[in-house]
Amino acid sequence: MRLRIAEITVLSPGIRKFTLEPLAGLLPAAGAGAHLVFDIPGATRVHKNAYSLIGGPQARTQYEIIVRRVEPSRGGSAWLHEHARIGDILEAKTPQNLFPLAHLAKKHLLLSAGIGITPFLAFARVMRTPFEWHHCSRAEDSAAFAALLPPGPQVTLHTSRNTLNLAAVLGTQPLGTHLYVCGPELFNETVQTMARALGWPESKIHTESFASAAGGAPFIVHLARSGQRLEVAADQTLLEAIEAAGIAAPYLCRGGACGACELPLLQGTPEHRDHVLSPEQRAANKSLMVCVSRARTPDLVLDF
Amino acid sequence: MNKSRPIYAPFQFDPSGARHLLVTDQPDPPADLNTNVQTLTARTHTADAILAFLPPHLATQTTGLRLYAIGSEAFVWDVNAIALAAGMGAGEVHLTRAGPLIRRVYCTHCQTMADDVATTITQCPGCGATLEVRDHFSRHHRAFMGVQVDAEAPGEIPAPEGFRS
Amino acid sequence: MDLNLKPAETFRGNFSAQNSEAAIRRFPFPFPDDLYMYSVNMEPHERGGPTAAYDAIFDLDEHYLGECADRAQVLADDPKRCQVMPHLIDAEWDTLELLMESLATDYPAQFTLTRNGDAWHWINRPLALDQRFTFGDAASLPCPPFEYITRQVQGDFTLQDQRDNDLFIEGGMVTSQADWSLNFDAGMSFRQWHGPVPLAHEAGVFDRALAYLLRLQLGKPVRRLNWTLTVNPRLDTSPENYPKWGPDRTTVTPENVGHKLCLRVELQTLTRLPRSNGILFGIRCYLIRLEELVRVEKWARRLHRVLRDLHPDLAAYKGMPRYRPIIVDYLAAFDDGAPTSPGTGPD
Repeated sequence: MRLRIAEITVLSPGIRKFTLEPLAGLLPAAGAGAHLVFDIPGATRVHKNAYSLIGGPQARTQYEIIVRRVEPSRGGSAWLHEHARIGDILEAKTPQNLFPLAHLAKKHLLLSAGIGITPFLAFARVMRTPFEWHHCSRAEDSAAFAALLPPGPQVTLHTSRNTLNLAAVLGTQPLGTHLYVCGPELFNETVQTMARALGWPESKIHTESFASAAGGAPFIVHLARSGQRLEVAADQTLLEAIEAAGIAAPYLCRGGACGACELPLLQGTPEHRDHVLSPEQRAANKSLMVCVSRARTPDLVLDF
Repeated sequence: MNKSRPIYAPFQFDPSGARHLLVTDQPDPPADLNTNVQTLTARTHTADAILAFLPPHLATQTTGLRLYAIGSEAFVWDVNAIALAAGMGAGEVHLTRAGPLIRRVYCTHCQTMADDVATTITQCPGCGATLEVRDHFSRHHRAFMGVQVDAEAPGEIPAPEGFRS
Repeated sequence: MDLNLKPAETFRGNFSAQNSEAAIRRFPFPFPDDLYMYSVNMEPHERGGPTAAYDAIFDLDEHYLGECADRAQVLADDPKRCQVMPHLIDAEWDTLELLMESLATDYPAQFTLTRNGDAWHWINRPLALDQRFTFGDAASLPCPPFEYITRQVQGDFTLQDQRDNDLFIEGGMVTSQADWSLNFDAGMSFRQWHGPVPLAHEAGVFDRALAYLLRLQLGKPVRRLNWTLTVNPRLDTSPENYPKWGPDRTTVTPENVGHKLCLRVELQTLTRLPRSNGILFGIRCYLIRLEELVRVEKWARRLHRVLRDLHPDLAAYKGMPRYRPIIVDYLAAFDDGAPTSPGTGPD
């Protein structure tokens, strides 16, 4: 799917909004919580970055995304901030949704931090059920986020002067409330730990990992079926290394959440970074999710 | 095997909950019950009184509650339906069957419910059809499926048996 | 796409429904091998396949008018055959959009969809419908959006909500079903509504199918085939009406089996819905009398071998015990023992 950049809005020095439109016809519909994976040109290779759509599902004439420039940038967000121009054409896959709203909820509780605001902007546009939204921001971004947040008493922006009292918010929600958490890894962990301690069941806690597949030490992967030996660079994922060799590998979310890219492992020990495999499956050492996982051993051998 | 017929676990306290409510149509709660568990039993309340108490009570409760129901299959699934309507979901409600192996049956043809069915072949109190009680349970209807057993050849009716589970 | 509609035939009463020569050649024969057992037989649903039945995303054929009329009659007798739980309202609109777009694309001579933002205009020429409405506003249609559009498409449809790592059947239009009840199964999880199916649970078929479907992607629908046998070309073989069609099973004789007995095939499609994140399950039912099917030699040989060697539990589940020997004897006359070619299409 090809998309043209129709508008670029600077929200803060590090945050920009991009409006994208189809070259012809209508875009595929996408529900609140859906994301788009883009091919973003880089100096040496194409980066694949996932961004939540912030528009409502009816918006089949345009998609909107918000991009924070990541430091240190692996290239995708830097290109969008420094080189992208109105009229540029981007290649993207059909939107997918790994963070849908729960239809049976009596109430939605949204807790976000930083750029984790983006899926909830889409949520807020389609809410038919009561909701309560707390967004946490660093001081330098708070004006940008304040402008994005919908008005109303159910939405609160928290900064260092007005910190979020997690225990109070999580401890007083009526039965039937579903909790959605989106922010940096530490924020997500803190909220979930507190929720569990207060008796929230797993079925009511929803997260979408927003951490990019940050790099690590380089390693070697051998593809047993084709006999290829590939080097996975420090700033590259295993999936990207396979794709760079011209081999099509299965994937969907590129974030270790969906399980589509699971490949069987013959030798070596992975550093699992996904959210799919159970502790027992990890201990079995039989497979890994190549979109996020890396190696603890110098080499991995895949049955692929 | 994970099919539609419910498999019940023995009562077990769920330490992941912050508050606990146990209701039962039996006279006594489980022995050595955790003292944090609020309990309603048949000694003080009829089953109907418990089912009437729950909706307004749950409407005042906050997330973190665990609800336990112990009793006849019909009773525990009635409690479950009330809990779902109050917004409770997976991991928040625990059901344990107690008492005789009897089933509530939903007639597929006339949609009448029959309570306290003890055998695999039973007469529908609504339309009079001779029903086979299939091993297919609906949590939504809170009943097993009843289908006319001699629809192909009228009068061809197998001998009724008791339920083994 | 070519679509030549017959005047409405009947799928009840005098059972006037017949397949033309063209309809026989496009039948989605379900058996890739001479031996049948359950498997996770799902593949991408793209236009094109072994017969013309796979050429459209939602296939219509010469029986369109008769099947729509039969559905209307079933609903008039029993409105609970169409029910959707209120929390699936987004999935209703998703379904309406998907079906209208697909039909207008695949059958432009019969269906036209014109859109101006949320102002939509739908024309269904075979049923003489001309409807202007507001997308998202249920009050602008004569009935709820899911019911409105599925009354105009051949095949049953169910809606699944995805939550708790499972799928829940919480809506549907089910009037041409192989002995299962939407009204009874409504609200069940994936393994629960498949509870009555023998052998497949134990083989892990449903666990793997569920894991696959939970990851079903937008824009990448999948399909599979299922089959059973039905006496007379009767679409509505529901548990609700079992007393009406069950006695038919006692009427099969060696003389009438070729005419009365039908192979019933479901071309099942599964599509991820965008707004609701639910799954639309399409169950498109095709009925072919044995006397029609045996005109394709390969299918006659293979069906004979499949039914002759079928596991007894499966034969019982598919309602065959009363007449299985009669069918196998009938088909044996068309099986010379020659090997069958790979694939399901006719030679």
